[in-house]
Amino acid sequence: MLSLLKQKQWSPYLAGALLGLVYIVSITVLGVIPGASGAYENVGGLLATVFAPTLANNTYFRFVMPPGITWEVIMIAGVIVGSFASARLSGTFKASTVPDSQWRQVFGGAIWKRWTAAFLGGIIIEYGAGVAGGCTSGLAVGGGLFLAPAAFIFMAGMFISGIPTAMILYWRKF
Amino acid sequence: MTDVIAPILIGFGFGFALQKAGLTHYQNIVNVFRLTNLTVLKFMLTAIAVAMVGVFALSAEGLSSLPSVPTTYAVGNLVGGLIFGVGMASTGF
Repeated sequence: MLSLLKQKQWSPYLAGALLGLVYIVSITVLGVIPGASGAYENVGGLLATVFAPTLANNTYFRFVMPPGITWEVIMIAGVIVGSFASARLSGTFKASTVPDSQWRQVFGGAIWKRWTAAFLGGIIIEYGAGVAGGCTSGLAVGGGLFLAPAAFIFMAGMFISGIPTAMILYWRKF
Repeated sequence: MTDVIAPILIGFGFGFALQKAGLTHYQNIVNVFRLTNLTVLKFMLTAIAVAMVGVFALSAEGLSSLPSVPTTYAVGNLVGGLIFGVGMASTGF
């Protein structure tokens, strides 16, 4: 058992089954579908109510995504601890400013490039999740397991735009 | 107290599974859009299948009630997905 926990990487089917169990426990015991993107909206709304109250006074923050330290925000803290524990157990944990191998080969080792892409891409991801009503965890997996059409429309959209984006970024490379 | 412990435990399992699947690595996310590494799909669809069986078996046995399912509003889901894909493919998040 311990040797399994210490493995660098699991088969995606095994790791996926573990995630499935986490969803079963969360949904049946707690009655909550785990999701990640909502946490950023809750915290964003909280910051807006403090620093820019007029911006926060809209339908979205009043009714759709109320600001606050919600269940999802606390869950994100658990996600950080869980992934850290996994990386430490397998001895692969390390701090880095630019992703290894593939990013360096294609875009080079410049920190500003990676951090600009991460910052702007992060905004795009979170905005998309806000429009769609969830992200890969809360909507695609959390909705997919109920066969909600929303989940599959979202995943289709994700690949329709993701594939050309990757093609453009990797133009004539690899 | 359970209000804090429960989400942390769920998050712990969530983060552990994602790290063990290798989804904390840039290339494992980006390469699904280059169709050269399908880890993301294998991982997500296995999770969906396992959770689907478990959740519906338990609710059929009357052991749990189902939460409200994410609402479908096709245009929003699609447009949101289109925006999301651009961000995901360019950052590897």
